[in-house]
Amino acid sequence: MRVITNNLRLFWRGTLLSYVALFAWLRPTTYAASKILMPLAQILFFSILGSYGTGGSNVDFYVIGNAIQIAAVSGIFGVTMSIGGDRWAGTLPYLFGTPANRLMMFFGRAFMHIIDGAFGVVIALGWGALLFGVDFSQTNLSALGLTVIITTISTCGLGLLMGCLSLLTANVMFVNNTVYFLLLIFSGANIALDTLPNWMQGFSQVLPLTRGIAASRALIAGGSFAEVSPLLVNEIGIGLAYGWLGYLLFKWFEYQAKRKGTLETV
Amino acid sequence: MKFRNIFVYWRTILRVAEITLRHQWNDSFILFSILVQPMIIAVLALFMLRGLGGDYAMFVVVGSGLTGLWSSLLFISGNSINGERWQGTLESLVSTPTPFEVIVFGKNLANVIQSLLSMTASYLLASLLFGYTLQLVAPLLFIGSVLLSIFAFISFGLIIAPLFIMYRGIQQWQNAMEFPVYILAGFLFPIAMLPGWTTPISYILPPYWAARALHETSTGGADLEKIMLAWGMMLFFSVIDLLIASRLFKVMLYKARVDATLETE
Amino acid sequence: MNSIEVSHLRRVYRSTIGVIRRSIKEIVAVDDISFDIKEGELFGLLGPNGAGKTTTVKVLATLLIPDAGTVRVRGLDIVKDAQEVRKIIGFIFGGERGLYWRLSAIDNLRYFASLYHVDPDVSKKRIPYLLDLVGLEGRGNERVQGYSRGMKQRLHVARTLLHDPDILFLDEPTIGLDPVGAREFRGVIRNLQSENKTILLTTHYMFEADSLCERIAVIDQGRIVALDTPSALKEHVSDLSVVEVETFGVPEATVNAIRSLRFVDALSVEEQGQRQRLLIQTPLGAEAVPDVMAALDGLRVGRVTVREPTLEDAYVRLVGGKE
Repeated sequence: MRVITNNLRLFWRGTLLSYVALFAWLRPTTYAASKILMPLAQILFFSILGSYGTGGSNVDFYVIGNAIQIAAVSGIFGVTMSIGGDRWAGTLPYLFGTPANRLMMFFGRAFMHIIDGAFGVVIALGWGALLFGVDFSQTNLSALGLTVIITTISTCGLGLLMGCLSLLTANVMFVNNTVYFLLLIFSGANIALDTLPNWMQGFSQVLPLTRGIAASRALIAGGSFAEVSPLLVNEIGIGLAYGWLGYLLFKWFEYQAKRKGTLETV
Repeated sequence: MKFRNIFVYWRTILRVAEITLRHQWNDSFILFSILVQPMIIAVLALFMLRGLGGDYAMFVVVGSGLTGLWSSLLFISGNSINGERWQGTLESLVSTPTPFEVIVFGKNLANVIQSLLSMTASYLLASLLFGYTLQLVAPLLFIGSVLLSIFAFISFGLIIAPLFIMYRGIQQWQNAMEFPVYILAGFLFPIAMLPGWTTPISYILPPYWAARALHETSTGGADLEKIMLAWGMMLFFSVIDLLIASRLFKVMLYKARVDATLETE
Repeated sequence: MNSIEVSHLRRVYRSTIGVIRRSIKEIVAVDDISFDIKEGELFGLLGPNGAGKTTTVKVLATLLIPDAGTVRVRGLDIVKDAQEVRKIIGFIFGGERGLYWRLSAIDNLRYFASLYHVDPDVSKKRIPYLLDLVGLEGRGNERVQGYSRGMKQRLHVARTLLHDPDILFLDEPTIGLDPVGAREFRGVIRNLQSENKTILLTTHYMFEADSLCERIAVIDQGRIVALDTPSALKEHVSDLSVVEVETFGVPEATVNAIRSLRFVDALSVEEQGQRQRLLIQTPLGAEAVPDVMAALDGLRVGRVTVREPTLEDAYVRLVGGKE
């Protein structure tokens, strides 16, 4: 029993840390700008671009694709920075030093961003309905909600891996931004996967987001939960796999750092 | 007052541009904004606009180059003054007899030249990697458009930088201003696709007129009237921006010297 | 002929405290100071940290705007004629900042030369000459990033001389330099003076002001407490002797007790590791020793000497014996 409460406590502390890092310094207007306006700008840009290219019949494709992809903002930028942020703030040594169950701390940090990310996607979908008339009348809303959460979890899993990779390099923002934009190509958000060359399709299949977007499109068009559940299972599997890899990398990093005595940032 | 400066200080401007380029040529954040992001946008647009047919590849090259130009202006030129402050060199610059806006003009020149790379990179990407044949409809007029666009972007940047310094509230919208300008300036699709009430907003954006001139001379009908209109508007806005910038810099520097913020915030 | 005229200069720093309920805190950095510097003079501004020296120099360098008072450089107002003033002055704030660390020394100098409008032909010859002058010859092509503190300081000097200004402001230029470097630097300053340049030097090293300056203004807490030649300042304490007592672990209370003795004019304490040296200024000289010894009763005492006062002691007296 003690073990469970201990772990919960660590989980909660991780969450709180992320919460503080995320929100304490933000002014409400900045938060509004990034959570409400930026997704809208991205959706607008790609939807209009897509309409221009395909004659406007297919707007839903782009709206939904980009709206779900917004989860990557929290997953990649949020989670990566909260881990990379430790290094800059010099608190990484303290994290290494605790005998605490690192797994709990680790995933605790991601938790806040999962909530934040899902929230962002919901807002983006809201814009979809409001401005683009995306029709949710046929949608199984709870299945869609689950899809959103699962997709956010899996992008956060990628974020955990990237966060740990960032401990090795100095160019965090460069990598983050590049991955974010590459996802726009490979996740099917803006380009129908079957129109991509084969090698690119293979890459799409091992990335998070791909199945989440496909599932969302299917659900909004009226598909059933049963149809998309294989996709969702694979999606969360991928996310957890990335998260697990990140965790392993974190432990390896800790081991190396303790061995060589190089804890601080370059 | 400001125009005379450009002729008097042309040597200084070039030297500032040279030093800026050398100081930041391998900065990863800059490389991302002017190379990686525009190229990814180019790839996206090449796929998404396939249905257009015709010379859509050239259109994408020019359009994605423009996105690089704008991002560079927004993030790099916008931060050029702040950057000097963080580095601790702002005081050294302000205390020279060269008017500070001349120095920032030179820095913006460097940034714009550097970000024209993005157009070149997209060009190479499309022609070499994807095998498109790319042609310019009116090469000489295109070059003229490029030169005027450089001038227009530099001047626009000259009012963005001091505004960011003086009104920190504006800078927090920085990220949110990236895509909207891509949309309103018609970089990768005509603004006819947008609702009519946004058109006036497009008209007051110098990047819009740059996009019109560049598209018209590369993949458009090379209609001389349209091109001259675009050139005229770019010239007009450049002049206005330089006049406003003169004023802004005076106010900004005075305020900074009263508040003692040249060294720290 | 006055090169620099400072008249009732006042400069206040305002900072806001608190996020929700904001209040403004005002610190008066420079409070109604006035002084003139003659052409070709080497003038010192001497004071402890936080006295207002750097603020004064920044106002003179046109980087800060006064809250009150006027400042004129060669008759030009530093606010209204800032651009003109900048052509004829040079300044060093020292420290690590102010240079482009990714560039080489020569590139830095070329850059500033163009910002100061030095003719390209002139700067081509002057840059190597200046590098030579400050002892950086042969290292001009290295990135500033790799320079030691002393080298950066010397590069600052080279930078400041690019446009051959007649007026120089040197703000604590030897701080952070090792003793040899500092001594060489003072040699450079003397050379500049021999070229008849007007120099304002700020420092908190008494001996530096004494050895270099023709006149010194002592500044403390934003006010000038004395302004005179070094020898005249020493006259301030000519009626005094200094009793130096070496102690080991003297408590604060005892120090204060001695300070309040009626024949003690000023007292300062020098910390030297385990030891302290009490510097007691008194007109009584050696006659004061027994009473001082009595006050130190029970404590371990080392050497006791009685000597003539130096400029340092004058400074201590002027600044209130707090340091």
